[in-house]
Amino acid sequence: MGNGTPFVTLLRQEWFRFTRLWKQTIFPPIVTTILFILIFGFSLGDRIREIHGLSYILFIVPGLAAMGAMMNAHTNCSFALYMSRFDQSIDNMLAAPLRSIELVTAFLWGGIARGMLVGLVTLAVSLLLLKQPPYHLGWTLFFLITQTVFFGCWGIVGALRAKTWDNLATAQNFIITPLIYLGGVFYSVDLLPGIWRTISGFNPLLYMIDGTRYGVLGVHDLSLLTSAGLSAGMSLGMFALCVILFQKGYRLVR
Amino acid sequence: MNAIEISGIKKSFQNVHALKGVDLAIRQGEFFGLLGPNGAGKTTLISAIMGLVRPDAGAIQVMGLDNRQEPMAAKKLMALCPQEINVHTYFPIQKIMEFQGGFYGFDRKTSKQRAEELLKRFGLWEKRKVGKFNLSGGMQRRLMIARSLMSDPKILILDEPTAGVDVELRHELWDFLKTINQNGRTILLTTHYIEEAEQLCGRVAIIHEGKIVACDTPQKLIVQHGQKGKPVRRFVRPGTLEEVFVNLTGKRMEEAQQWEMAPRL
Ligand SMILES: Nc1ncnc2c1ncn2[C@@H]1O[C@H](COP(=O)(O)OP(=O)(O)OP(=O)(O)O)[C@@H](O)[C@H]1O
Ligand SMILES: [Mg+2]
Repeated sequence: MGNGTPFVTLLRQEWFRFTRLWKQTIFPPIVTTILFILIFGFSLGDRIREIHGLSYILFIVPGLAAMGAMMNAHTNCSFALYMSRFDQSIDNMLAAPLRSIELVTAFLWGGIARGMLVGLVTLAVSLLLLKQPPYHLGWTLFFLITQTVFFGCWGIVGALRAKTWDNLATAQNFIITPLIYLGGVFYSVDLLPGIWRTISGFNPLLYMIDGTRYGVLGVHDLSLLTSAGLSAGMSLGMFALCVILFQKGYRLVR
Repeated sequence: MNAIEISGIKKSFQNVHALKGVDLAIRQGEFFGLLGPNGAGKTTLISAIMGLVRPDAGAIQVMGLDNRQEPMAAKKLMALCPQEINVHTYFPIQKIMEFQGGFYGFDRKTSKQRAEELLKRFGLWEKRKVGKFNLSGGMQRRLMIARSLMSDPKILILDEPTAGVDVELRHELWDFLKTINQNGRTILLTTHYIEEAEQLCGRVAIIHEGKIVACDTPQKLIVQHGQKGKPVRRFVRPGTLEEVFVNLTGKRMEEAQQWEMAPRL
């Protein structure tokens, strides 16, 4: 009996959960993102002027990869945990000798893995299509990972709070999607008029997406240090919140 | 040292007082039965032992370990066969079993072997590739029992394990539970079947409206509470645990139990 076995089993379980349905969990988001690139990039891109000296299609690639990573991390974590609450399989995990931090990390791992798969495959395919090597792989990975952690944890909190399946969809449709779209996936904040620029500055996703763009293309609107610090800080904060909620048994222990 | 020691456990849900101060000691190696009508608080008490319900007052010790101070150590000693079929809805049952072994520290190879043994033992091997919706009610119950045995627990807690299982299989299960109890496991079982309690349990506690109203061997309970001058109701066999139950709770023991399907969210 190895000491790490229970935790490793949890990780394997979460991996099994989404790869078992890869045709629904991994394939469609990649196709969607590539369609975005084809539509916005190739068909409309010519009519939009260059940003930071880059063609519009290239400019939106990092944002789209980041968006895929964020949304899939969120969806995976929130659905996996909510489903476990719904079929009460979470009770079986809570009754087993598993620590809160292990449970949170496992649910999060499912989100990170799925988010990163979608993000990286999207990125790889787009960059291949555009014959553009990534500018800095390290920063690219850093920003993608912190994004998936942040959104995965957000999904975990959402799944704990949700009382119906609708609650989960509402969070996605009315909070996360707008924040992502307004986070500069499709435009540079430099292009926004003054007041909107200031307002956008309060959207934490702006920094995450801008950082990703630096990693992939080497261009950025905001301070790299601010973006990196915010991304790391927010994802760690969210993770800590999830662990505390699990330890307290929030909506888990009756 | 007792296997499980419950002292002064109270638990309310909003305005429902599910447990109103429960004290109970289950000895090592004992086959202990918890009897009570619907809503008496059996599942709540068991959930408190497993750490799934947080009591408002009181403490629970598992082999001398406080289940809130040392939850990991306490949980390793126990396994629960729950009243609800709480498995991942779409997972093949073989995976469910193998993961369960891993959760309790068995390596992959051992988990695989144990899962195969137990699935065969409970007649589920042919169904190993399907999920819970492709199992009959009885098969689902068997899966829960099989899963609770994956961890080879010192203390096995079964919440109405034989509800909805046909008579033949129920008797087979009784033999099986007797054997594993004789091999040194402590068993705590809730049931609605008098015969089950009489056949299996060395001691029985009767819980009614969140309180333990009696706790002793079936024989002594029958002597103490059997005929207390009250007229014996129709259909109740005199001189049985059933009569004790009726006298103490005013309710008949049910023949069949429907488990809740609604999620607790
Ligand atoms: N999560 C909950 N929220 C609100 N009330 C609850 C909850 N769980 C249990 N109760 C209430 O607590 C009481 C005891 O319930 P419990 O499930 O422990 O009964 P039980 O003895 O297991 O009954 P059964 O034989 O039907 O399984 C009931 O009145 C029940 O409605
Ligand atoms: Mg019950």
